[in-house]
Amino acid sequence: MTNDRSNSTPQPLEQQFDRRGLFRIGGLSATALALVACGQTEAGEIGRVGVGQPTPELEAEVVNDGVLMRTMAGVSTSIANAYAHILEGGALAGSSDTLPDLGDQTDLVTLFHEHHVEAAARFNELAVEAGEEAWECGNTRLDSAYISPIFTRVEDGVPATGAAQAIPPSDDPTRDMINLVHALESMSAASCQAMVASVSMPAQRVAAMEIGVRSARQAALVALRINPGGYALTPAQEAATQDTVAAEETTTTVAADAPVAPPLTPIDLPVAIPGHFGLLSPTTWIGGAGDENGVRLRVNFETPSLNSLAYPFYSCAAG
Amino acid sequence: MGRRALLGAGIGGAALSLLPFLSGSAGATPPEEAATTTAPPRRPTTADAEMLGQLQALELTAQALYTEAVNVGGWSDEQAALVSFILEAHRAYGQSLSGLLGRDAPGRRNDELFDAWRADFTGAPDQVLAAAYDLESALVATHTEVLASLEGTNGAASISSMLINEARFCTALADLNGSTDNSELLVDDEADSLVGQG
Repeated sequence: MTNDRSNSTPQPLEQQFDRRGLFRIGGLSATALALVACGQTEAGEIGRVGVGQPTPELEAEVVNDGVLMRTMAGVSTSIANAYAHILEGGALAGSSDTLPDLGDQTDLVTLFHEHHVEAAARFNELAVEAGEEAWECGNTRLDSAYISPIFTRVEDGVPATGAAQAIPPSDDPTRDMINLVHALESMSAASCQAMVASVSMPAQRVAAMEIGVRSARQAALVALRINPGGYALTPAQEAATQDTVAAEETTTTVAADAPVAPPLTPIDLPVAIPGHFGLLSPTTWIGGAGDENGVRLRVNFETPSLNSLAYPFYSCAAG
Repeated sequence: MGRRALLGAGIGGAALSLLPFLSGSAGATPPEEAATTTAPPRRPTTADAEMLGQLQALELTAQALYTEAVNVGGWSDEQAALVSFILEAHRAYGQSLSGLLGRDAPGRRNDELFDAWRADFTGAPDQVLAAAYDLESALVATHTEVLASLEGTNGAASISSMLINEARFCTALADLNGSTDNSELLVDDEADSLVGQG
């Protein structure tokens, strides 16, 4: 018995593909692949010896009085810039289908704009006194994540994507802009209040509260322009608000064969005095046209926190 | 070696082992620049407690004045709702300061101020609303003045949450009283502080 199969006698097909034959074919294939791989002429980079760049470290986050004051300067500037944009667009002079008795609020918001320009200058003075540089531009986080998306949604809508239909511009830009004014004033008041427990110098507390007091009054006044007679929520209204939220949460999905358009996200009317104590909770803005499910844009304006502070290593020039 | 000798040897060994530690402590000098912190205290200081006590007396005075006003009657539903809301707010402020101050809280109103304001709070509704506007503005000025002197952050934070709402009360009261003047609604001219009065 021999393993020599080099004779010229053709073998039957069953013998060519027996187990030993398969092993032989497999071995030949692997050898051929190895030869092809070794035949590559490009040698590639030669490994180097040495030490690379160290992992970059984040700069230390310094939160001091100066940082807090220049953050507030940025917040005030963002609000002033937003009002300038609103006034330039002329939405406040238009009529509102949702708020037919609103009237032209251009003069009032012009007054508010002046307040926030002055507030930014005052906060910057305090920042410089505390040893930090003034912050002359808007708060980058507030602008990019909150205010700009609202303007885009209200003025331009959202283009269609592969997964969602286009959303048109707002069905009532006047309503959305005056509600934005209320949200920004409320956030300004809450931010000033929040500074009291954060800064260490009494002079800064007092300055923050003087600005916050004015913002709180502006928030109350614009709330009354939007919702005449809406001074405060009664216990029954507070309970009704909770019911509305609960109902809204259970009706966000619309059946595919629904015969009517889905209900739009409701927009609550603001009140002049939202609680017995000054609130530090987020102020919710809801607006813009609804998407295919009737859902409007919802943005929660919050007091400045770690992601929105104007740290010493940030600058307006860097953006 | 007897038991006494063993005890003596043990005590001597312990003393020797402690020697480096003791000598190190005795020889330690305080660092040239002691660690300092600029963080203000959280709890009210003794001086804070005195000022916060006076503010509590003011809040209880306001509560008593609004109670007088509500009892007089003649209010529309809208007026009664707002005045009652503000009354409850001042009651809550007084209670909040009681919680903050504990036994240091006076727990009583300022009688002199109450007597001075009482007549204004028992007139016709529009007169009461005007008086309430002045009182709230005075409370805003008072709290702001006290805020400049408080050291503890708990007291300052508590006062600021009252102060910011009392500012809103002014606007709401002026609007309810029919004002359309923005300078009045936004209180361009704040009332004088009540510190030192009464």
